[in-house]
Amino acid sequence: MSRKLTVVLLAMLILAGAMGLKTLVTSHGSDSVITAFGGAPPPLPPAN
Amino acid sequence: MPGPYEYGVWLICTLLEAAVVVSAIGKHSLRRYPFLILFMALSCTVSVGRYSVLRHWGQRSPEYMYFYYYSDALLVIGVYFAVLNLYSLVFDEMKVERYLRWGAILLLGGTAWFSYAVVQQSAHKILTNFAYELSQNLYFVGLVLTYLLWGAILKLRETRARLVQLVLALGVSFSAFAANYALLNLYPRLIEFRYIQYITPLLGCILPAAWAFCFLRVHEEAKLVPARLATAVTR
Repeated sequence: MSRKLTVVLLAMLILAGAMGLKTLVTSHGSDSVITAFGGAPPPLPPAN
Repeated sequence: MPGPYEYGVWLICTLLEAAVVVSAIGKHSLRRYPFLILFMALSCTVSVGRYSVLRHWGQRSPEYMYFYYYSDALLVIGVYFAVLNLYSLVFDEMKVERYLRWGAILLLGGTAWFSYAVVQQSAHKILTNFAYELSQNLYFVGLVLTYLLWGAILKLRETRARLVQLVLALGVSFSAFAANYALLNLYPRLIEFRYIQYITPLLGCILPAAWAFCFLRVHEEAKLVPARLATAVTR
């Protein structure tokens, strides 16, 4: 049981850390997008 | 429209991705690294598809935008499973596959839920916005997972040279994209410098080049000297 809870806690910590890092990196957000992989030229981000 | 330099780098990147697939299959690594090879094959196929759509519709067309973001979401899910493939190899002797699997599902579900929560206010194009948000969020989840994996490799004194180099290449690639993105957002005037315009497309070649080198030149049984990793920890 404790191992399962550790997995849940770790997953939540990683998610929170990743979203924190994203906020840090994109806090001065412009129209540019973070391209994942490959060399294709990125289009404009979709409008909300 | 992209110029000859961008097209050239894109072509090199696609050829390197194909080289990873061919060399990994040629070295009988398909069973050991299935998701890494699947991701590279997917990336290569997506590149061909994107080129076709770009040539037909143009870079600013909605068709290219939709194709780009939906394929990007697929690619990021692919790289997420590639990272998990590396996790299962690093932790294979600890018999924690079941927990890794549950953690991975939970994390993917949590990221999808978070992405939906962000875009649910959108009045239209909710699916496109969801694909865009999911790929961006999952990118950072992959980045954090790769850093944690590198920490585990140092802690466990992992000595399998190919595995260590595959993880390092992934970490360098993730970090380079994130740093480039952060720099361009912090200093938008940097985009006016020509060298930045040349560097950005090159970042896409880091991962396939490093992985192709790894599968071609580093033998599966090759070991690192443990002291080198230990030194890296203490520095």
